[in-house]
Amino acid sequence: MFSEDTILLFYEITDVIIAGLSTGSVYALMAVGMTLVYGVTKAFNFAYGDFFNMGGYFAWILIFGLGLQFGGYLTVLLIVMPLMFVVGYGLEKLLIAPLRKRDDWENKVMMLTLGLALFLTSLYSVVFGVRMKSLPPILEGTLEVGQLVFSYQDILIFVMSLGGILIFGWMLNNTRLGMAVQAVAQNPVGAKIVGIPQERIFAATFAISTVMVGFGGILLSQKWFINPNSGGTIMIKAWVVTAFGGMGSIRGGLYAAFIIGMVEAFVGWIFGMSYGIIALFILLLATLVLRPQGLMGKGD
Amino acid sequence: MRLKNMAIIIGVSYGIMAILPIFVGDIRFIMNILIMCLIWAVVASCWDVMMGFAGIFSFGQVAFFVMGAYCSGILAIEHHVTPVLSILMAGLFTAGMGVLVGLPCLKLAGPYVALVTFGVHMALQPTLRGEIGIALGSGGSVGLLTIPPINIFGYAFSSANIVPTFYLTLLVSLTCALIIMFAIKSYWGVAFLALKDSQDFAMSLGVSAFKYKLMVFALTSFLTGIIGAFYGHFYGVLSFRMLDMDLFSILMVMMLVGGLGHFPGAILGAFLVVAGSEFMAPLGAYRAVAMGALVVILVLALPNGVMGLFLKRSVNKIG
Repeated sequence: MFSEDTILLFYEITDVIIAGLSTGSVYALMAVGMTLVYGVTKAFNFAYGDFFNMGGYFAWILIFGLGLQFGGYLTVLLIVMPLMFVVGYGLEKLLIAPLRKRDDWENKVMMLTLGLALFLTSLYSVVFGVRMKSLPPILEGTLEVGQLVFSYQDILIFVMSLGGILIFGWMLNNTRLGMAVQAVAQNPVGAKIVGIPQERIFAATFAISTVMVGFGGILLSQKWFINPNSGGTIMIKAWVVTAFGGMGSIRGGLYAAFIIGMVEAFVGWIFGMSYGIIALFILLLATLVLRPQGLMGKGD
Repeated sequence: MRLKNMAIIIGVSYGIMAILPIFVGDIRFIMNILIMCLIWAVVASCWDVMMGFAGIFSFGQVAFFVMGAYCSGILAIEHHVTPVLSILMAGLFTAGMGVLVGLPCLKLAGPYVALVTFGVHMALQPTLRGEIGIALGSGGSVGLLTIPPINIFGYAFSSANIVPTFYLTLLVSLTCALIIMFAIKSYWGVAFLALKDSQDFAMSLGVSAFKYKLMVFALTSFLTGIIGAFYGHFYGVLSFRMLDMDLFSILMVMMLVGGLGHFPGAILGAFLVVAGSEFMAPLGAYRAVAMGALVVILVLALPNGVMGLFLKRSVNKIG
């Protein structure tokens, strides 16, 4: 019915779509973390992408540096996730909390986190070297459906990041911490009056977003590599997804993440990978000009 | 700060700079550092006008600098434009780009502006490296290698005769600093400050946010482009590696050391940081780490930079 070429093209496009879906799912994870921290604390974190790499490097240390033998990625996640939480919580308390008392603290936070990003980026290059590091795939092997080949790794990344978002959404709506976070986001003063410890919620929110992006780092670093200098690009990607989806809207972030994952995969396939960021930038500008509140944002 | 105090600080710091070649004129290494001081002083001041005075959170200053440098370099190499003319054309080009970047930023809130401008920075590197850049003559991943030096009436200002080049740089840098000073103290500068402090109130008094914000973008990117082009012709070599984070962070440190929104501060900051950075050279790769940490510490501990120390002392004297 179809010629040989058409069928090959079809398989190729399917591959690109799968790649888009699996990166899109990780972007969704990152964008949700970013929406959360900006929506609740109004602090913009320029070091977000470097926390992504931090997750990857922690996993690399555990697997190659310390030669972790048993449990594979489950153990890695069990160790790295709490570690990321502690790092995030500590950094918020140490660096961002003291700034909140100043009058133009939002700008100061941006400068400070940019400094932190520079610090971490150059620290990674010094400690781990500028060469990229690779992580082993979480699951080997492929699933074959007729002529189509899916790697288990892609499927698992997709499932795990969606699972992470679902767990996060459940926590936000059903646990005391999640409800306190929502309360602070809706009305900081009101939340304070009813006795919610605001400072602790800010720190916890920051820490949760750090955990989410670190989780994304562990998942995606298996497919890409861990590159010490990639923090800025990753931060921009997460931010483009967040802005495109609409600030403060988790569902918008989800849609946006998949759209952008697809755009990036297709642009990379047609023009080459280095055009991905240019395409994202054009998309961002178009969004900001045509619909500044994003796909599903409420607008202010 | 009053115009008189600004003029005194600028006069003293540039005056000291102007005397230095008498002592170190034949040490080429130090003369190079001094020229760098003068160049970075302009870039840091422009950035300071943008962030500290107009309150526009732009992270695109390095991108404008590189644009100016590349534009002038390409004009001189590919189209054989004489360097002085090409520098002016590069300034106009960068000013145009500044307005272009500024337009979408007008309606946006702080972090979005930061993102768009930072996005310009991030997108510039693949552009210069990729096919688009090569088609324009950016030299791809090699960069520009044979930029001719500035030539005025047959006299070449290259690193071969470094003392005259130093004084030319001093002249350009001082002119830029004076332009910035008068802009800040003119009606424009007051409008910038008013818009930063309360945009709604300023607009209700008839200050056009549209006009003045675009003006800030145009003015700062014009000066940055000019000095970037100057840098290109002085060095003769350009590479997209300038867009790496090192330069970005060191400029940020200059601005923070000087104090954000305390104008001549950025000039002092540039002089101090370039000198300090040379002392930190033995740290090797750890220098970048130290610079990043320094940004964090400065934001936390010294919110008004060196100028903050000055201001505090003068307040104490009165009180």
